[in-house]
Amino acid sequence: MFFKKSIIALTGLFLCIFLIVHLSANSILVLPEEMARGLYNSYSTTLRESPLIKVVAYVLYLSIVLHAVYALLITLNNRRAKSKSYSLNRNRENSTWASQNMGLLGITILLFIVVHLANFWARIKLGMGEEVGLDTDGNVDVYEVTYSLFQNIYYVCFYSILMIPLGLHLHHGLKSAFMTLGFYNRKWLRIISKVSLIYAAIMAIGFGIIPFIVFLK
Amino acid sequence: MKVTFRIWRQENKNSKGQFESYEVDGLTEDMSFLEALDYLNELLVTQNKKVIAFEYDCREGICGQCGVFINGRAHGPHDHMTTCQLHMRSFKDGETIVVEPWRATAFPVITDLIVDRSAFDRIIEKGGYITAKTGTAAEANAILIAKEVSDKAMDAAACIGCGACVATCKNSSAALFTAAKINHLNSLPQGKPEATQRVLEMTKQMELEGFGSCTFTGACEVECPEGISLTNIAEMNARRAKAKWFG
Amino acid sequence: MLDSKIPEGPLESKWRNYQLKSQLINPANKKKLNVIVVGSGLAGAGAAATLGELGYDVKCFCYQDSARRAHSVAAQGGINAAKNYQHDGDSVWRMFYDTLKGGDFRSREANVFRLAELSAPLIDHYVQQGVPFAREYGGVLVNRSFGGVQVQRTFYARGQTGQQLLLAAYSQLYKMKRAKKVEMFTRHEMLDLVIIEGKAKGIIARDLITGELKRFAADAVVLATGGYSRVFRLSTLAIGCNGSAIWKAHKRGACFAAPSFTQIHPTALPQTSEAQSKLTLMSESLRNDGRIWVPKNKEETRKANEIPEEERDYYLERRYPSFGNLAPRDIASRAAKERIDAGYGVGRLKNAVYLDFKHAIERFGLETIKDRYGNLFKMYKKITGVDAYQEPMQISPAAHFSMGGLWVDYELMTTIPGLYAIGECNFSDHGANRLGANSLLQASIDGYFVLPNTINNYLASALKEDHPTIDHPEFEKVEKEVTDQINKLLSVKGEKTVDHFHRELGKVMWQECAMSRNKEGLVKAIVQIKDIKDAFWKEVNVTGGHQEMNTELEKALRLADFLELGLLMCTDALQREESCGAHFREEFQTSEGEALRNDNAYAYVSAWEYHQGEFKLHKETLDFEYVQPTVRSYK
Repeated sequence: MFFKKSIIALTGLFLCIFLIVHLSANSILVLPEEMARGLYNSYSTTLRESPLIKVVAYVLYLSIVLHAVYALLITLNNRRAKSKSYSLNRNRENSTWASQNMGLLGITILLFIVVHLANFWARIKLGMGEEVGLDTDGNVDVYEVTYSLFQNIYYVCFYSILMIPLGLHLHHGLKSAFMTLGFYNRKWLRIISKVSLIYAAIMAIGFGIIPFIVFLK
Repeated sequence: MKVTFRIWRQENKNSKGQFESYEVDGLTEDMSFLEALDYLNELLVTQNKKVIAFEYDCREGICGQCGVFINGRAHGPHDHMTTCQLHMRSFKDGETIVVEPWRATAFPVITDLIVDRSAFDRIIEKGGYITAKTGTAAEANAILIAKEVSDKAMDAAACIGCGACVATCKNSSAALFTAAKINHLNSLPQGKPEATQRVLEMTKQMELEGFGSCTFTGACEVECPEGISLTNIAEMNARRAKAKWFG
Repeated sequence: MLDSKIPEGPLESKWRNYQLKSQLINPANKKKLNVIVVGSGLAGAGAAATLGELGYDVKCFCYQDSARRAHSVAAQGGINAAKNYQHDGDSVWRMFYDTLKGGDFRSREANVFRLAELSAPLIDHYVQQGVPFAREYGGVLVNRSFGGVQVQRTFYARGQTGQQLLLAAYSQLYKMKRAKKVEMFTRHEMLDLVIIEGKAKGIIARDLITGELKRFAADAVVLATGGYSRVFRLSTLAIGCNGSAIWKAHKRGACFAAPSFTQIHPTALPQTSEAQSKLTLMSESLRNDGRIWVPKNKEETRKANEIPEEERDYYLERRYPSFGNLAPRDIASRAAKERIDAGYGVGRLKNAVYLDFKHAIERFGLETIKDRYGNLFKMYKKITGVDAYQEPMQISPAAHFSMGGLWVDYELMTTIPGLYAIGECNFSDHGANRLGANSLLQASIDGYFVLPNTINNYLASALKEDHPTIDHPEFEKVEKEVTDQINKLLSVKGEKTVDHFHRELGKVMWQECAMSRNKEGLVKAIVQIKDIKDAFWKEVNVTGGHQEMNTELEKALRLADFLELGLLMCTDALQREESCGAHFREEFQTSEGEALRNDNAYAYVSAWEYHQGEFKLHKETLDFEYVQPTVRSYK
């Protein structure tokens, strides 16, 4: 259990770092269109062609899989540990909703990732669906894919609203990961707890607001 | 005052069990929750019925024997309190009070509200002690222990072993209980010689007993009558990692 | 009949002389010997673990779900030891003297000296086991003072000293369980003692989960079953505490010594209702800094904080200027009772006195007081809902410790060969009154240090005998008697509850056999208790069966014994026509209301033999070779 928990924590932390990179890339989208398109497309081309990033990408896929699979195994084990649920449980009074529902939040995020990959990764890397054109610099026009997707208000809402569970998951996950890995200095844990909150808020708001900005462009 | 108890009745560990309702009048706010159950039991005796089995001993919040799930909370609606310290003034007149035994696979129900917590003893058996025979001790003040170290050990040692942490945990994890004992002993100089073995064997036994893993909801810390800090679990994780990878 | 077996030689050498002469058993033979230990508190767990370490095969029993629950956990204040770490003039001799004097010269010098002598190594022992005693910044151990003494010799672990010591003992017990030298039987209650050819050879215990009666045979039986103050029903004891094991032993031939010596603790929380099951103890250490008072005006209606200083009666400071609020427990309790009876009590039922920290907070600051007593204040708030940093606590005397118990000799053996009694369940070191923080001490010393060094003297001879087996006809006979008693209880099918009779008994005992006693009251009490006993066996209703977990049956069995024990307590209090320690006979007091001891006629331990429902008195004369009994003055 300790090993599995540590893997969940380590992969979680790695995914947290990945999200920072992802969000900084996304923030290009809020620039004026003429700047954003060129920058965004050249950035994504660079990423696709870098061998280092290829390795990182595989680590990323693996992290998501391990994070999910081990979380599933741990959850099943935890379910077995609870013989019977209480007929009345006021756990809201002693813990946060998010901390009690990390699995549910995780599944929601996983669904989001599937849709997200279908929208982007499948189209750009696997060439599924409508073909993606090139921009004036000859880079694959990822910007256009993004822009057109976020002209659809349903997708905008989907992408924005699902950032709420992401934020909740990150808030509890980040500080717990540190504790799982054995950070126990109380002073630092207080700081980590605050950092987790700030980090989760930035991620949720950042990722959540960009689709709207693109929509309104 | 008058309340309705909805209490879990279960004949023995193999039977199914169900809730039964009891309307009780004539209680006072000064009564403790357990005295209200005593009162109900006396009523049951006069009706020639079998009494409700529930646990208690010291009734002053220190022995750790009492403990039931009351209205959705381990040890009732207050933080950091044992069941025996709960008084009827915490409830409203006419309220329905739901009383359930601790729920955890590692704590099977024996009868009614009584569960078997011997899993805790078996965890202690795997290293919750310092191996030192009677009669072998050196002069007490020969071991100097800084106040901060001693105070921190005492914070962890304060655990009364009631099992509320397991009961309230959605994963029925015994991490807080196990961590408290490991940190108490491993942080003291006397506990150092066996520190590595202790953390590995106790955590292993904790898993073998069928407790779940800690996901840091923090509910245990809130329900713990002694308010033992969640950071103890993080510290146990650190000690375990160190023991596992560096010996 | 009563041979105290006090060893030869000067006081300081008695224990060493004893050990030199006592028989030894070689390690290979020890494992052939079985010992039963009933009870898993400090005495029981300490003895079981140590006997296991020595190589004996040990079986340990407790009625709780784990050995760690034994009522030793509840001692808050501390444990005494003559370490003289504070350099305040303490010594083994002074501790011996304090304890003997505290007990009002009704205990054996040799035993008390041994207690003081072994106290220092005991602290070493507990530190080694990882007990987190309070420490100074420099890392050395801290001491505090406690009622009845003028030196600081009490060691403590926050407000949890008993809990921490018991956890140490329990952990050693489970260490030996892991080593397969101790077998642990939790949720088992001893219901009778089996004697074969005049020697204790086993017990009958009831498995509290299945209700099954089980036989256990051994070469020696050790009782470590704690105190019996639940005879008063309302007491500071755990609800399950009982006198059944020692009572059954008494009925099978063990003499019961000084049964009426019961300590009433001055600082418990007052009773608030009829349904109350327990009087929570607030540690006596609170009296170090708290001041006890009542209003000077009987009809006082103001809140405590509104009563001006000059209208408060700090009665302990007034009556006992040199000890003040630190007067011994019996004196503090009686003084409180005197004020309450005179109509000066406070609280809704006018049954309490104030314990005030205002001055201490002003003097030492809130932080210091929080550091010293924080958890006690928290506990007070949990139970009463009152913040004692803001207003005084209300406290009241409550039945607490049983100095009396099975009579034991210097080896802690009862009058039945092979049957030992250790810890609170014996009568050994405390005399007529126990000093604060001496209870954990005595239990630990009996269990860890004394019994493991004396039991070999008996077991050496047991080696040559046949080991008892549970097929012996005696086991059959005793088990049948237990079964019959259970069946009899279940078949009464009256209309009243066990608790009803316990309340009745408690009222009589509290009224007539607690803080102050008199002949008329005691004679009346004996009649009343007999009536309650008769009514109990005619009118009680115990629902449920015996082949299952039945908490009502457990209570009924314990009460059945309390009803008989109560009789003996009153009988004992009646025969002792003097006031000593906790035993205060109203007929024997000075003009100032202090206890009047009679050393010429009563310097003995009363030891009662049971014979077909009658009690026969034996006297063990107390010879004071080293200390001249003085009038115990705390003025």
